[in-house]
Amino acid sequence: MATFVDKFPDEAKVVQASFAVAFIALGIGALFGLIQALHRTNVLRVIDSVDYYTLLTAHGVLLALVFTIFFLVGLFTWAVTRSFGRALPDIRLTWAWFGLMTTGTVLATVAIVAGLFPQIPMSADVLYTFYAPLQAHPIFYIGLAMFIIGTWMAGADWFLAYREWRGENPDSRIPLQAFMVLTTMIMWYVSTLGVAVSVVFFLIPWSLGLIETVNPLLTRTLFWYFGHPVVYFWLMPAYLLWYTVLPKLAGGRLFSDPLARVVFVLFVLLSTPVGIHHQYVDPGIAEGFKFIAMTNTMFLLLPSLLTAFTVVASVEHGARQRGGEGYLSWLGALPWRDPAFAGMALAGLMFAAGGFSGMINAGMNINYLVHNTLWVPGHFHMTVGTAVALTMMAGTYWLLPQLTGKAVYSRPIGLLQVIMWFIGMVFMSNAMHRAGLFGVPRRTAEPQYQNFDFVAAVGSVGEIRMQIAFGSLLLFLSVVLFLFNVAATWADDRVDTPVDDTIPEPLSPSSGAPLVLDNLALWTGIAVLLVVLAYTLPLASIVNDAGLLGGSPTFPVTVSLEWVVDVTVGALGNLSLDSLAGVAPADAVADLVREVRR
Amino acid sequence: MSAEPDTEAGDVATPSGDAASENGPPIPDPESVDDEGYVIGSGRSGIVRRIGHDDFDPVGTLVLIAIYMVIVGAMWIFMYFVEFLGGDLTVIG
Amino acid sequence: MEIHRYEKIWLAGALLLIVGFIATVSYGAVGAGIAMVDDEGGQVDPASLDDHPKFGEPGTYQAGENEYDVYVVARQFLFEPGTSEPIRVPAHSTVTFHVTSPDVIHGFEVVGTNANTMAIPGQVATITVEFGEPTEYGLLCHEYCGSAHHAMEGKIEVVPQSEWNESMVVN
Ligand code: HEM
Ligand SMILES: [Cu+2]
Ligand SMILES: [Cu+2]
Repeated sequence: MATFVDKFPDEAKVVQASFAVAFIALGIGALFGLIQALHRTNVLRVIDSVDYYTLLTAHGVLLALVFTIFFLVGLFTWAVTRSFGRALPDIRLTWAWFGLMTTGTVLATVAIVAGLFPQIPMSADVLYTFYAPLQAHPIFYIGLAMFIIGTWMAGADWFLAYREWRGENPDSRIPLQAFMVLTTMIMWYVSTLGVAVSVVFFLIPWSLGLIETVNPLLTRTLFWYFGHPVVYFWLMPAYLLWYTVLPKLAGGRLFSDPLARVVFVLFVLLSTPVGIHHQYVDPGIAEGFKFIAMTNTMFLLLPSLLTAFTVVASVEHGARQRGGEGYLSWLGALPWRDPAFAGMALAGLMFAAGGFSGMINAGMNINYLVHNTLWVPGHFHMTVGTAVALTMMAGTYWLLPQLTGKAVYSRPIGLLQVIMWFIGMVFMSNAMHRAGLFGVPRRTAEPQYQNFDFVAAVGSVGEIRMQIAFGSLLLFLSVVLFLFNVAATWADDRVDTPVDDTIPEPLSPSSGAPLVLDNLALWTGIAVLLVVLAYTLPLASIVNDAGLLGGSPTFPVTVSLEWVVDVTVGALGNLSLDSLAGVAPADAVADLVREVRR
Repeated sequence: MSAEPDTEAGDVATPSGDAASENGPPIPDPESVDDEGYVIGSGRSGIVRRIGHDDFDPVGTLVLIAIYMVIVGAMWIFMYFVEFLGGDLTVIG
Repeated sequence: MEIHRYEKIWLAGALLLIVGFIATVSYGAVGAGIAMVDDEGGQVDPASLDDHPKFGEPGTYQAGENEYDVYVVARQFLFEPGTSEPIRVPAHSTVTFHVTSPDVIHGFEVVGTNANTMAIPGQVATITVEFGEPTEYGLLCHEYCGSAHHAMEGKIEVVPQSEWNESMVVN
């Protein structure tokens, strides 16, 4: 039976290559995640606390940017090709963006990992948010810029494919999957503008010494201009799979094609004018702007809530067709033993929970309670870390056979793997949320402080730490099983019918959708207008207050080696330092730093 | 919700605007694969009846999301009024 | 476009939820009087904080009867005051913290409370809170600020009115 790889062998290669990069990033990122979790809970320490931030930067970049986005470009290439039913216009362009993205990724990763080796004069311990005036090596910013430009080229590739298809099908509706890809890319073009301006006009010249100073609030605001839509960029591949693949896996059909289109249009319109919700407790931004961002954010819940209905109804349709009865007992009629189905369904369930903590995050003043605490990583490990990541892993079990012509190596391992991820995440995320509520900060290598102790209202601090550590271990093992299963599949021989790759028609077909939904130019225009309305005044006032370039010169992440030696020698002479007794070396260094500053 | 006894192929896999897709392999023969999803992507092999657009009311979905709505509403009130407003040092200026 | 009756119900429910959230937050702002950190603190030159009339000599300033201003400089990797000596404020007083940074972005979190703000170079964050009975609070930096970020911490002492004295204020 001809499947994707037989019909589009060239495209299948690009998709496989993108997935390969994604999975390598997943493996490295998961290992670092485990090390971080064990380190910051004091269960097992294999690194110095100073290196914690190098690993955390790599974890954030490799998972949140590289894994998710490489999977996305692979998935979208598959979706565009199969739903237009034609090869991409020029496969050399396709390989060009793949090459550019990969080169950028390698450069940025090298700059980050070099931070572990003091003899290499390069580091980028700035975390994946790279807030200036913390400064990374120019190679880090240049790598990021190449990566982003690569995604722009990928989008151009898909739009060119659309143009060719449109030329031959002037009156057809845009196929649903292609519609999702194109709308997502419109959102991406609008939103990456912020980070591109920040990196190209400010951070690269500044890191090269061409300009002296930056305005930290400006670069931070430009980052979050991009930083919220990027979460929808992660989420849209998952939505694409939930809308178009999950119903089929459940034995049903998509409930409504028109509503799926409405949802994607809403994302184009509302994803960007909300970024200030990451800056609720930033000085220099008026409360009114924060309130507007909150209102937009809350309305952005709407497309996700609609998605919940449509997707669950489609799954229910499958269960009913499989003989399911009753108000809730139909749930038992679903194909729970299929890892592709079970993984996506569990991912969706976790998204419902992560959605709730997101609603809290969105509430302007309640942000005082949770801002920058461990609650936040608790939240996004449920959303991007599970809703997206687990959907991608589960989707791989159905996609890889189409891309390779090989059957998945082991269904039971796949099933075990997705369930382990879910359970691991329940432990880790729930505990992180709870820890955040009594003030444990995120992005911190040490579990304890000298001046105070954390007090848990319910349970104990130790129990919460153990849950984080245990959950992270399950998660890591789950990734190991996943990578093993994928590698074994790749190594296998081709078979005749690796998977049933058909996608049935929606119950409510696209013919019922108003034509205006397919008017991409209109939605782009409105999206730009909303962004202009939401951002002109805040950006103008930030620039007006502190200048385009601000007054912040360069600050190294680490103090120079010489300085550390001086400090250490000086402090060792000072034996009255009671805190030195019996503390881990890392704590000692930290103490010394503080002592000297006194 | 009534089941349509006749097995119209059209209900399951119609060729459509999504060109390449629908002409893929037929649904695996229910005899040759396990009904319960023992093969990845085989959910449709367990189909025992076809339910068309007009015969489907997603009542189970309505129940599930109603439960979700209640949980979210209750947790929101708890988080806002107990955890947040009940907390120490409220910022008033 | 045809929408199923149940989906319309859900749409209405979802809108209700959204409006309910916005209403709760608005109640918090208007009814409970919670103010957001905003642009009211103004700007400073991060490179010359030492010359600033208040940040040049950070600490607790008396602003009125039972009202105090606490100027805090958050820098790699300490709070001034807060780290080497605690921030001191009298019990049952209204205190406005003014926080800024001369170097990188930091955070200012009074542990286990709602007093939580960013410290951004060039900008002054101001938050006003009311302290009650004498007690001690932990203080930590919750934004990654460099290799010893985890060591950036301190203390706030809420001093009984009877022990409060002139030496605890700068002015
Ligand atoms: C093996 C599975 C994973 C484990 C054990 C893990 C663990 C952790 C831990 C312990 C932190 C640090 C918390 C802190 O100190 O603030 C963290 C941060 C983070 N994780 Fe994961 N994680 C995993 C998977 C993922 C996945 C799949 C994603 C996204 C696709 C992800 C995205 C992030 C991001 C964006 C951060 C924040 C980095 C920052 O604060 O700069 N993680 N993770
Ligand atoms: Cu956001
Ligand atoms: Cu810090």
